[in-house]
Amino acid sequence: MDNFQKKFVEEATDLINNLEEALLTLEKKPGDKDLIAAVFRIMHSLKGGGGMFGFDAISNFTHNLETIYDEVRNDRLKITEDLLSITFSAVDHLRNLLNPEALNDKIIKKNHDTLLAKVAQVLKRMSNPESKIQQDSSDNLVGSNEKTYFLQFTPNESIMDNGTNPLFLIEELCGFGTSLIFPRLHKVPLISKLDTNKCYTSWEIFLATEKSAGQLKEVFIFVEDDSQLEIIKLADFNLLTDKDTIEEIEKQFESKDNIDINELNEFVNELDIKRKNLKVTVKEKLNSFTKENIISSIRVDSDKIDQLMNLVSELVTTQASLSLYVEEKQVYELNQLSENIENITRQLRDTAFSISLIPIETMLTRFHRLIRDLSVEFNKNIEFITEGAETELDKTLVQGLTDPLMHIIRNSVDHGIEPEKERIEKGKTPQGMIYLKAYYSGAHVVIKIQDDGKGIDLDVVKKKAIEKNYITADAQLTDKEILDLIFIPGFSTAENITDVSGRGVGMDVVKKKIDEIRGTVDLESKRNIGTTITIKLPLTLSIIDGLLVEINDTKYVMPLNLVDKIYAVQHEKFVKAYNNLVIIDGEQIPFYNLRNEFSVVGQPLEMEQLVTVKYEDKRVGLVVDNVIGEYQAVLKPLGKLYINHDIISGATILGDGTIALVLDTNKIIHEFSFKN
Amino acid sequence: MAKTVLIVDDSESIREVVSFTLENAGYNVIVAIDGQDAIKHFDGKIIDLLLTDLHMPNMNGIELIREVRKIEAYTRIPILFLTTESQRDKKMEAKDAGATGWIIKPFIPAKLLDAIVKVMR
Amino acid sequence: MIDEEIVQSLNSYLSFQLGDEFFAVHVSKVLNILELIPITKVPKSHDSIVGVINLRGSVLAVVDIRVKFKLAHSEYTKDTCILVLQVLIGDEYVDVGAIVDSVHSVLEVDENQILPPLSVGVKYKSEFITGIVKNNERFVMILDIDKFYNLENFTSQVEEIAAD
Repeated sequence: MDNFQKKFVEEATDLINNLEEALLTLEKKPGDKDLIAAVFRIMHSLKGGGGMFGFDAISNFTHNLETIYDEVRNDRLKITEDLLSITFSAVDHLRNLLNPEALNDKIIKKNHDTLLAKVAQVLKRMSNPESKIQQDSSDNLVGSNEKTYFLQFTPNESIMDNGTNPLFLIEELCGFGTSLIFPRLHKVPLISKLDTNKCYTSWEIFLATEKSAGQLKEVFIFVEDDSQLEIIKLADFNLLTDKDTIEEIEKQFESKDNIDINELNEFVNELDIKRKNLKVTVKEKLNSFTKENIISSIRVDSDKIDQLMNLVSELVTTQASLSLYVEEKQVYELNQLSENIENITRQLRDTAFSISLIPIETMLTRFHRLIRDLSVEFNKNIEFITEGAETELDKTLVQGLTDPLMHIIRNSVDHGIEPEKERIEKGKTPQGMIYLKAYYSGAHVVIKIQDDGKGIDLDVVKKKAIEKNYITADAQLTDKEILDLIFIPGFSTAENITDVSGRGVGMDVVKKKIDEIRGTVDLESKRNIGTTITIKLPLTLSIIDGLLVEINDTKYVMPLNLVDKIYAVQHEKFVKAYNNLVIIDGEQIPFYNLRNEFSVVGQPLEMEQLVTVKYEDKRVGLVVDNVIGEYQAVLKPLGKLYINHDIISGATILGDGTIALVLDTNKIIHEFSFKN
Repeated sequence: MAKTVLIVDDSESIREVVSFTLENAGYNVIVAIDGQDAIKHFDGKIIDLLLTDLHMPNMNGIELIREVRKIEAYTRIPILFLTTESQRDKKMEAKDAGATGWIIKPFIPAKLLDAIVKVMR
Repeated sequence: MIDEEIVQSLNSYLSFQLGDEFFAVHVSKVLNILELIPITKVPKSHDSIVGVINLRGSVLAVVDIRVKFKLAHSEYTKDTCILVLQVLIGDEYVDVGAIVDSVHSVLEVDENQILPPLSVGVKYKSEFITGIVKNNERFVMILDIDKFYNLENFTSQVEEIAAD
């Protein structure tokens, strides 16, 4: 052992003692920054010194520990009991390693390996999230990430003035992989004119390595101001593997003064084609191998989807801010960019939403089972037919839909479908039928549940409504209005209350649940023919394409899919309108002036905007002050205080941070027409 | 006249081996145990090269050279890092602070000397 | 040390002013105090709900407690602010903004300083008021905001709207 080594052992002994001391204190104060920094520094010194003085075991052993404590130091990793106990064992082991012969001892060697493995485990856990990011697949298949670069390095003549030796850099670079170096000496002057302090040489280098161009550039960090450096990626594979290619490169380029990049690229392309032809057979084998492994779908944690949806919603909001900014500030340069982002965001939104869609099929099994069980219980013979099971709905909608559908089906089995004997008497097929059909209709999904049972007895409903004081005995109601009475809270037509449709949980609950997911329920029933319940749901819950409008500084959003046309109309015309009808395009259109209906204070504008929206099978106009434009609205609930406030389906936050209210035009028109 | 090199390293053994190498090559060597200790030497005396470690207690190498570059007399002296660190961002930080070069530990004494000779020419 | 803090906060009430009257709510109910910002009115809603504001990306309903006590509306000033309160609605805690004319101070109140509302003869619906404390020669009414929007109250309010 030479003197320097002895000195190092002395020093390392002190360092290890200090390390132990620091760790003991750290155990009591795991968050102490100074202690963590000290531990890191000691590891670092041990590693550096170990390498310097031939204690490679120490150097290697501390290398990973140093990395771990660097992460701790940068708050990326927490001190755990586990980590501390490993480090303590490491301290004991480091003392052993100060003996250069230590690893010849079997027990120490075993201990060494065990500890290395433990440390590696901590490291692995630490870097796990990153390791998930995989390299490009094609490269992986071949099992190599090697790429071939071409570098032109031309130092300034004065580069050696500050002590840099370009040869060191070239040497470092070549350590990265396989290389082919062409020093270019054409600038070297005649001996008589040569200044030995100047650098006349430039280099052209072919390098095949796993490193990135950035990492190569790093080698030249300290000289990049004093030289010209060009790094070009020639190929995504190692060009320098076969002798022929290397010889060809040498033949083509060695004798030249400078390599012409275009010529080089052409050369590589040619090579690439040759190479591909050669590899075709191999590739095909690989392809057939991968095909078996192609997976058409993957399982994703639904929390992750929720997270994705939230992020998309945030993105939509942020993008809206950008568009608004660009428009307000008239930043023409950004216009195109902003439009592109808008487009991409829209596509991303649609794709993200399609991810969270699941087919309604997923809940049908439960219904099959329910009908089977109930049929046995009530001694009824029922066939359950479904259509459009592949229709997809937002998963939260499916969750919200299951209960109401169960209830509807129970009702059908319990009250709708007659017993076999009764059906035969009525001349119906002995087997009853419940038919569930789902289909898309515009931006909605429609689910129809139809039975061929006895239907709802309107007289019974009416009688009950009178009994319960919902209507007066002399009320004149249409059949539809009578049916709608069933949705009144607390109304139940079941004369025999069974345990299937218990007291008080009737159609009103179904309606409430469907309302909660922004859907509508419609009921049709014909005596002895059957009952049909139609549920209409939005495709998704959280984002809608809307039309942004304004009344007296307050902004509103109308669902774009319901907007028909927009007309500028003199306020006068509305004032003079008879019976709330205005003639547009030769057609009489009923309208509601939202300014009045919403009791907005302030003067109406001379020229107002009439937005016609689709309502049932008609067009109805809604009058607003201004139409601002299309807007993707991220729907946020108004909160519990507004729970029964159904003309507004929610709010959305605009680019400038203010709130716009999202109008449910169907409900608004329904409410106003009812009132008028 | 022999040139003066200031060696800064918290490890005594590194200081010794570097000093030994440089003294044998005819340099005048001053040593300091960390940045704080080193900065005291920049009091007007001639220092031809600063050779410093990166991670040190009290004042690290980067903090040290930032201080050194602030002193008029030493804005142009070569500064080399001698460290086991090889991260790009550390190198960039060092360069921005005013470092001339970077030597990675462990080093071969002859190579170290070679680099030092070149820097001080 | 920690125990002391808990005991202290147990007896802390934030006092505020509505018109000429002084009220207080327990500090545990107060999440935030915001400057008055423009409130978006929601058409066709109950008088006691002023509208909605954007609170860090979510929508917060803002109420006017005044309506509950049938106090006259007063103009907004620079002292007007919004208390973000955690209120029990049904069986769920919900964040609700409440407009107040000004916020005063945090009162440390000893349990035995709280007088029953009836003893002082309060002119307001006593179901919302759990007690009265005297502070600087003024009577401060301690509100039980959970009673404001409890389910019974809330549905009756909805029926009020429906009956319109």
